[in-house]
Formats: sequence, C-alpha cells, structure tokens
Amino acid sequence: MTDDHLDAAAYARILRAALGAGDYADVFYERRLTSSFRLQDGRVHEAGRSVTQGVGIRVLTGEQAGYAYSDDLSLDALLRTARVAALIAKDGTASTRTVSLDAPRETSGIYGDDTGAALPPTSRTYADLVARADVAARAFDPRVKQVTAFVTDEIQDVVIATSDGCFVRDRRPLVTLGVQCVAHGAAHGSGFFGDGGRTGISYFAQHTPEEIAREAARIAVVNCDAVDAPAGDMPVVVGAGSGGVLLHEAVGHGLEGDFNRQGTSLYSGRVGERVASELVTIYDDGNLPLERGSLAVDDEGVAGQHKVLVERGVLRGYLQDRLNGALMGGASTGSGRRQSFRSMPQPRMCNTYMPAGESTFEEIVGSVRRGLYAKSFQGGQVEISKGDFVFMLGEGYLIEDGKLTAPVRGATLVGNGPDVMTRVVAVGNDARLAARYYTCGKGGQYVPVGVGMPTVKIASVTVGGQDLG
Amino acid sequence: MDELLGVAARTVAFALEAGATEADATVTTAQRFSTEARAATVAKLEQSTGHALTVRAFVDGAKATLSTTDLSTDSVRALVREIVESARFVERDPLAGIPLTVEQPTPGDALEIYFAEVAARDPAQKIADAQAMEAATRAYDARIDNSSGSRVSDASITVALANSNGFAGAYRATSVLRATSPIARDGANRRNASYGSAARGYADLESVESIAREAARRAVEMCGARKPGTMRLPVIFERDVAAAVLGDVFGALSAANVANGNSFLVGRIGDRIGSDHVTILDDGLLRRGLGTSPFDAEGTPTRTTTVFERGVLRTYLYDTYYGRKLGSASTGNAAGGSIGPNNFYLAPGTGTFDELIASTARGILVLDTIGFSTESVTGTYSRGARGMMIENGEPTYAIDEFTIAGHLPTMLAAIDAVASDLRFDGAIVSPSFRVAEMTVSGQ
Repeated sequence: MTDDHLDAAAYARILRAALGAGDYADVFYERRLTSSFRLQDGRVHEAGRSVTQGVGIRVLTGEQAGYAYSDDLSLDALLRTARVAALIAKDGTASTRTVSLDAPRETSGIYGDDTGAALPPTSRTYADLVARADVAARAFDPRVKQVTAFVTDEIQDVVIATSDGCFVRDRRPLVTLGVQCVAHGAAHGSGFFGDGGRTGISYFAQHTPEEIAREAARIAVVNCDAVDAPAGDMPVVVGAGSGGVLLHEAVGHGLEGDFNRQGTSLYSGRVGERVASELVTIYDDGNLPLERGSLAVDDEGVAGQHKVLVERGVLRGYLQDRLNGALMGGASTGSGRRQSFRSMPQPRMCNTYMPAGESTFEEIVGSVRRGLYAKSFQGGQVEISKGDFVFMLGEGYLIEDGKLTAPVRGATLVGNGPDVMTRVVAVGNDARLAARYYTCGKGGQYVPVGVGMPTVKIASVTVGGQDLG
Repeated sequence: MDELLGVAARTVAFALEAGATEADATVTTAQRFSTEARAATVAKLEQSTGHALTVRAFVDGAKATLSTTDLSTDSVRALVREIVESARFVERDPLAGIPLTVEQPTPGDALEIYFAEVAARDPAQKIADAQAMEAATRAYDARIDNSSGSRVSDASITVALANSNGFAGAYRATSVLRATSPIARDGANRRNASYGSAARGYADLESVESIAREAARRAVEMCGARKPGTMRLPVIFERDVAAAVLGDVFGALSAANVANGNSFLVGRIGDRIGSDHVTILDDGLLRRGLGTSPFDAEGTPTRTTTVFERGVLRTYLYDTYYGRKLGSASTGNAAGGSIGPNNFYLAPGTGTFDELIASTARGILVLDTIGFSTESVTGTYSRGARGMMIENGEPTYAIDEFTIAGHLPTMLAAIDAVASDLRFDGAIVSPSFRVAEMTVSGQ
C-alpha cells in the first residue's frame, strides 16, 4: 500500500483549501509500519504489528497555528480537514497566492540498509533475536532470574508538502532491541540495555542480541550489590556516552526555539553570552549515520543540519522549526519534529553531543577524593524556566581516594543548567555516542533521539541518595 | 455505537476465519478539541476525529496483536491474516487467552461518564475560557509577566469491544480539561507553575477564575526559593505529587510486574506494608470518575477492589492472563496490552490540608517533583523537588533544587497523617499525606 492515490495535484488542492487567509500551510502524510516481538519467562510471548497512517494539516498566521488531522485519506475528508485547520485564520483576508507542486523530491543518504524493513512479522527472524537474548542473559550469570526482551522494526514513510513549494518524501527505518534483567544476589538488582538505530533488522547480525543481553545482565548483577547512593553536594564524574543526557536536559531543551521566542527559557536572549565553562562545546546534529535522532529531512521538510549550540562555553544559537525560526527573524535549523500525524511539529533536538577534550579517564577519576561516578543514565527531565534539571542514574559507583569502589543504587541528581555547566572542570578524550535507545518527551510527544559525551568532571552536583555518610 | 460494534465483531470473525482459536477486537473513535492561549493571542486551535482498532488473536495460546488506524475492511482482513500467521513464532502458553466467561457489565449510563454538553460546547466559549485564564493569572500579581500558555481541551470517545466468546459491549465517555502555566519574574530567575482541573463534564470542573488564582499563587509562592541543606525530615506530599507517588505504588501492584519479579511487593500478600493510614482502592465504578468505565480492555466488568487495607496488602491488580498465572481472578484492570488503573486512590483522612501543615513542627512541603525513575525491584525512590520549608506548623520560605529520597516500602510504613483533600481529577489520585522521615539532599 502506498500514498500514490494522493498526487501532486491533490496535495496542492489540499494546501489551497488550508491556506485560506493564513500565511502558510503544510501537509504531513505518514504511514508507519511496525513489527515487534516480545519475550518473557523464557518464551516468545507475543508478536505485534502496528499500522499508523494519516494526514496532518497545519495553517500558520502570525504566531497562531491551526491544526487538524484525518485517518480517512479520501480527498473529500482531507479537504474537510484542511478547512478545519484553516479556522485559525478566519479573520484574515483570503490569500490569492497560488500553490504549485511538481513531483516530490526523494531523500537519500543518511539511513542504513532498510531492505525488507518492517516486513509483516511472519518470519522467524524477530523471534530468534529475542530468544537468543534470553539464552545469553541467563548464561551470563546464574543470579539472572528474570529476562524480558523486545525487538521492534519500524519503517515510517512521510510526504511533506508546503504552501511555499517544498514537496519531499522520506523513508525512515528504525530498529531497537532491548533487554531487561532482574538478578537475585545479596539484594535484587535490575538492569536494562538496548541498541539499534536508523537501519534495518540486519543490524543485529553484527551487533548481536547476545552482546546487548550480556550488558543488561551485567548491570543487573552489579546492582545486586549496590549500596544506597550518598546524599549531598559532591564532585560527580559523568560517564562517556550516555552522560550526554546531561547536555540534553541541562542545555538542549532550554535552547528550543518555542521557549526562546516566548521568553520562557532561562536561555532566552542570551546568544553570545557565556553559559558554561570554557571546556564545554555542544553540537546537535541531524545527519549522523544510524543515530536515532537523524533525519534526512525533518517533519517540516527541512534538511537535517549540524548546529553549534555552545562553543567553548558561549551560547551560539537555538534549535528552530519553521514557525519559531521565522518569528525570530531567522530560519529553521531542521529541528521541526513530531510524534505522528496527530501532532503539530515542535522544535526538538536530534542527536546532542559534546566533542572530546584532553583529559584521560584515569586522570579524571584519580582527581576525586570522595564523589560519584555516574557511568550511565536512564534519562532526565528539565523545567526550562528556571533551568533546574534532574538526571537519573542507571549504573553508578562511589569514588573514594581516586578509585571506583562500591556500586550505588538508582538515585536522581539535581542541578541548575548554567550552574552545573559552569562547574565542568575536566573533559575526557574518550568522546562517544551513547547506546541507541533514548526517547525524548515534550508536550506529550515522544521522538527518538541520540546523545553523546566524553567523560566529564563536574566540581559539584547534588546527589539524591539516602546515605548521609 | 452499533456501527463500531459491527466493525469489532467482523474483525473477530476475520481472526477466526484466518485460524485463530480465540480473539477480541476493540474499536475506538475519539473526537478531540484543544486550544491554547498566550496573553491575548489564540496560539493553537486543534480539532480532529481519529479512529483506532486493536486486535488480539490467540492460536492455541500463542498470542499476536494488531493496532491500526486503517479501518478499511480489506486492509483489516489482510492485517489480521498476517498476525495470525505470525503467531506460529510465538510459544503456546496455556494461560494466554480471552476471559472464558462473559459477564454483563454495569451499563455505561449509570456511571455518568458521558456528557453531551462536551461536544456541543461552542469553540468560541472554550477559546474565551483559555484567554480568561491568561488574563486572570497576569492580573493576580505584577510579577506574573509571561506564561507557557493556558489550555482548554476536551474529548468525546466511543469504545466498542467484541470477543469470540460472545462478549459485545460499547460505551461513550467524555472528558474536559482546563489548565494554565503562568511564569513569575523573580529577579534574574523565572518561576513557573502549572495548575489545572479535569473532569467528565463541566459540572465537576473548577472555574476559570479559581484555576487561574491557584496557578498564579503557586508561581508567586516560589519567588525567592533557595536550596535547603542535606538532612532527614518529615516530608508532606501535596496531593498532586502524592498522586505521583501512588503511581509508583500502582506499578509495584501490577501483576505483570509481580510475575516478572519486577516489584518490591512480590510474595507480600497478607503482609503489613503500610501504616494504619494506608488504605488504597481501585474503583472502576466511581460515578463520574476519569478512570471509570463499565468494562476493561478485555471486556471484564470493572469493580471496586481494596488493595491495601489499613496497611495490609490484600491483592495485586490483575488482567486475565496474570490472574491465571498468579492464581487469581482478573480485577478488571486490563488496559491495552498491560495492566492499568481504574480510579486508583489513597483513602482520605479527616483533617484538612492546613491542619496537616499545622501539625508539622518542622518539615518540608513538596509541591512539585521532577524525574521519573523508581527502581521497582527494591522500591528505591528519588526525585528532584521544590516546595516550602515548614517551621512551627507554618510554611516559612520557598525551597528548590533539592532531592527527596527513600524506599517505597519504608515510605508507606512511615505515612503518619493523611489529609481530606482528595479530588478525582485523574485515574490515579491521592489526598496530601506526610511521611515521617525522608532524606532531603541539598547543600
């Protein structure tokens, strides 16, 4: 099945109906197929298939946005939907602009091999992957008692047509394999690990379910012996890779264009100012091969870009979608993303990371007398007006006299964005991207993202454990 | 509703025709409206109708599921055939399947979850309500000079479910929401707050004026907040953050988590876990409740379940599969592939919220938390927070940028007071309560 019943002329008609008295209109067509398998209790438990298809139509007038969607793809239904979206501009003067579209441009380049992507789950491939994960997790250590594993294989076909003539088609693969283990040792411990990316299911031929399962099992076993995390302010060494969650929360969200146009972010109006230590440079990139946040074009049809957010501590720019970029006198940075055809796009991050510095891991850990090594994170959250944020430990260790000692139980670390970023006192030479399983939520919309970072030392962060020491 | 039931029944027939031994199908239509105002501007206006079909097909205990927004007959038949075929890669599980018996649910009308006034309300009135909240928050205090917007949204949904054992049921439900998020200027800082109200119909919804006043008060109250020290103290969870703690407790009660060893409540039925103040119910039949429905996602009639009774754990919450697995009947908590709450709440106490504060010599009132991970195997709880310092029974100054931490089982045992301020504005709700001691981590 394809969207071929909607040709260029149909898109143009819908856009004309939507534009009405508005400044701009766009149409977002989506057909997303997902196949999934889930294993628990040592057996393949469930096969799943999902089809999400529909069209979202948006009309902009000044800073106002009207939106309507339809899962009925008949031209009549879409023209009705366009007129509902156009209600936002009912007080304006009808536009006399013409909308003309040629053939949609096909994107190419940044995704992995998607041959056979998201086939119906009627082959053995998926079930075998989760079954292999189960065997490997249990073989890793006899203390591993419970294993759940899932694999999802998704292909999202989108067509984006805009009243200013952009007409583009993008085909986006995404695979994920995740394993959760519970181990019984001195106490119970749990561990999660996942991998995947914007490519097809053949990815797991090289990056095997066994490797993913062993990492989840290892974390669960480590956590069996974990002690309560400490409480209070202390030096924190943030681990390479998933430490990028720190950048995503402490800085990234606060640079999204909607908050800055509205003046609700603590970073509003601060381009050119120092917002972090000189050691801090932060990029957001929509073009990295395989990464979950990569997009040949964003959900408004704008090409993915490499954006410098912070350069040697100085704020360089915001993440923009079309609406907010235009209202702030600039352009989109290819950051307009949405969860599905049911939602309007918002300015969002793609893959947010920090390049390598000069310190070695040993130097960084060795410089801490008493502190915490936060090796990996489950995720984070931020309140962008004052900039207070949290990040939640996945795997962590105490540092005592420059050495890693006991593992600690899950704890939340809290800080204020610019405050914490100013206290970055060392950046490692070991920059890397995190394992590919992170998803970001904003305004109820969830999109896949990537993060990355070298090992970083922060002079002091508040650690939310229970041990007063 | 008859038309949707027809689609559901036809889908079940497709599954059986393709080789399924059991199947169920749920069709949902949702008509949604949403608007957001910022200052005097109507920033967003959204109106749509969406459809969804979900199917569970079992082939001798091997389970395959489908969800699709494409309800055309040919597409549904082809997709159903695919998932039935995919079931051969799933292992047979004798416990998997739909409910064996068909029970007649309470008719939806008796539950008062549908109000025709919701779909009938003039969009212009809803837009005016959003603009009025913007104006009222800004008029409350000169420091409120910005906002993340004021929202009014509603939904009218119809759900129809049919299964191969002969269940056929349908109901309609509505919901309405008003919320506002003002921002107060506090020197170089911005202080945000959010407050809202949700209900099945307008009669139970808080007024625009009262929502705006409460949100504005909360934003202004945070001005001048400072970071507290690191210490152990009594912690009062104000009702909305108390509800979030109840959400973690719900996760530990889900029979799916219990069966997978992912809960600190494994093997604890009959044990005293909480204090005498801890009575927790799950009620699917509460009139006008936002978590109320006549039957759950498998067609099991909902009911009222006492989960904790004066601190003693009485039951987990089950769907059909995990009920069979753990030797219990479904409690009517099946929810789209997992186990979900009906109206899940901590029973209120007798004293008011103000009396709860006044009875606290020294402690912390938590008004907001950020973060979401609770380690469910051990119940290790840790959140970023903001709120007020309480001294001599009175809120004295605002505090932020700290964490609170504890273990959920210890926290439940340490609940030493529960207020009477319960309101049913969500599926998981709670009155404010106090935990006798937790770790507060700040400077």
